[in-house]
Amino acid sequence: MKNVQDIIPAVTQHEYREGFVTDIQQEFVPKGLNEEIIRTISSLKGEPQWLLDFRLDAFSRWKKMTPPSWGHLSRLPKIDFQDIIYYAAPKKDSDRPKEIDPALQETFDKLGIPVGEREVLAGVKPRESVAVDAVFDSVSVSTTFRKTLAEKGIIFCSFSEAVREHPELVRKYLASVVPVGDNFYAALNSAVFSDGSFCYIPKGVKCPMDLSSYFRINASGTGQFERTLIIADEGSSVSYMEGCTAPMRDENQLHAAVVEIIVEKDADVRYSTVQNWYPGDAQGRGGILNLVTKRGLCKEGAHLSWTQVETGSAITWKYPSTVLQGDGSTSEFYSVALTNNWQQADTGTKMIHLGRNTRSRIVSKGISAGHSENSYRGLVRMGKGAFGARNFSRCDSLLIGSTCGAHTFPVIQNFNNTSLVEHEATTSRISEDQLFYCNQRGIGPEDAVGLIVNGYAREVLQRLPMEFAVEAQKLLAVNLEGSVG
Amino acid sequence: MDRVYRVGIDEVPKRLTLKEAEELRLVFVVMPGISADVPFDISIEREGVKLEIYGLYLCPRSEQVNFRVRVRHLVGGSTSTQLFKGIAGGSARVGFDGLIYIAPDAQKTKAFQENHTLLLSDSALIDSRPQLEIYADDVECSHGATTGSLNPEELFYMRSRGIPEELARRIQIHSFISPVLKYLPEEYRRQILARL
Repeated sequence: MKNVQDIIPAVTQHEYREGFVTDIQQEFVPKGLNEEIIRTISSLKGEPQWLLDFRLDAFSRWKKMTPPSWGHLSRLPKIDFQDIIYYAAPKKDSDRPKEIDPALQETFDKLGIPVGEREVLAGVKPRESVAVDAVFDSVSVSTTFRKTLAEKGIIFCSFSEAVREHPELVRKYLASVVPVGDNFYAALNSAVFSDGSFCYIPKGVKCPMDLSSYFRINASGTGQFERTLIIADEGSSVSYMEGCTAPMRDENQLHAAVVEIIVEKDADVRYSTVQNWYPGDAQGRGGILNLVTKRGLCKEGAHLSWTQVETGSAITWKYPSTVLQGDGSTSEFYSVALTNNWQQADTGTKMIHLGRNTRSRIVSKGISAGHSENSYRGLVRMGKGAFGARNFSRCDSLLIGSTCGAHTFPVIQNFNNTSLVEHEATTSRISEDQLFYCNQRGIGPEDAVGLIVNGYAREVLQRLPMEFAVEAQKLLAVNLEGSVG
Repeated sequence: MDRVYRVGIDEVPKRLTLKEAEELRLVFVVMPGISADVPFDISIEREGVKLEIYGLYLCPRSEQVNFRVRVRHLVGGSTSTQLFKGIAGGSARVGFDGLIYIAPDAQKTKAFQENHTLLLSDSALIDSRPQLEIYADDVECSHGATTGSLNPEELFYMRSRGIPEELARRIQIHSFISPVLKYLPEEYRRQILARL
């Protein structure tokens, strides 16, 4: 029988399926970052003066800031911000201004992302599935089902279009949850953000289908600066999903996104992410630096749920947070973070309780294999006015092999004596006993690891929408290929 | 062996290294009225060590107490248990910053850490940071932290059986701190109970 030491490496080494490059003509702005570049990006996108002022203000703040170094990330390389191309877009053919470029179509087909509506319209799929906004490098190339959604008054489009068509909404909500000077990367994003999704659900509307954004980095030497804004007006509800991939390269590429979610009174937002950026090769070369700020604001009685499956990126620095401002608002954070080879993840959440009787729940499952480091970092803060508020947090770590690290850094701050905070964390590993038990019953070692990991992460995977859950399960199994121990 | 330190009164070591396989119990107690910053760093360099650390901090008025405990398992095969219990009333500020570090290859380590704090007034503040930093896979490790106030249902239970509210609260607080209190010498215990 193969012993555990042999099986783990076998399970954790695998090919990154999405690592191909699309050969397409693209236009770039010159390398580097200065006021001129920001003006160029803004004029390329035909933006109004107020947005340009917003960017320039962000840029002047960013220049005074220093990159944060408190993360447990020993492999975070020094990023040369002058060595990045801040805008890259596929060239539009003048004879096909409306349609999507066939090469792009093919790219997204290959990734399994339905950027066309034909399948559904032809009745191939039994039910309407998902409306997709596909972002390729710095621009959104296609948004599907816009008409169907518009009938209900739902606005779902790329951020740039929203700026053109709904400037009043964008102006009202932009940077209302993540202020421009919130942190180093949020300020950078505010200065140079290119495209992302914009979504507005009007009062009382239940969104009839899942909304989804798909982010693809293609061009070399570029960074992607996604900006997403989701507004759920009073009593509305929506389920939103986000996915991402990038080609395999020996260089590190920067992805610094800002996602803002406003959940008005009694509204309900579910935000799911399956993050599968290129994680670098087995020697730790290349991979995406995923440095992201995501935050939601809950008004009275509102509900926001974050579900994330993090399997990619060389470096992940990400803390989806909720400000529970309104009385009786609730939030959940469910996360599975898997790191393998030389990946490092420092991820978790912040739950800021301000309103009365606010509730939050945190379930975080970390899985480390290879030489990776996986940290949970979280904050639960009960403000002075958080009467009767409650939080429960649970953070588990699973270690596969003896060369990886698993860490937990929670912070609990309690200013209110009627609130209650509970936190617990454990670590475990896949034991030889468990593997033996499976082997004995005819389950091969790699399947056994997949089985155990999926069982371990089940509580979180169950929270994902159907389409994502299947993908996530596969991802977990594939990403562990070659790592059993 | 038991060692009891009254913070602010006895001399408290900042750093300790355990090089022998021994059983050691350390108890820290912070009496009411004392403000202190307590850094404590202990390294386990020998297998077979059984370490227990208990902490009790009573801060009913405007004390500021901050524990910064580091337990480092540099070799495997040892066990450490930590239990810190605190009470914050008045405008007290209490902090617990505890880290369990398990070095690469410190296999078969068992390390546990718990921090529970009672918040008795609306202007007191608790800051709790129980942390784990683990570099070995064959270990058993957990931590837990809670903050909250006295359970109103327990209070109601006692009052409905004729126990006056004042006494019922004292009983609740007594039972909350008793897991640590029991490791204190009789004399200290009496002093604490008299001041509840």
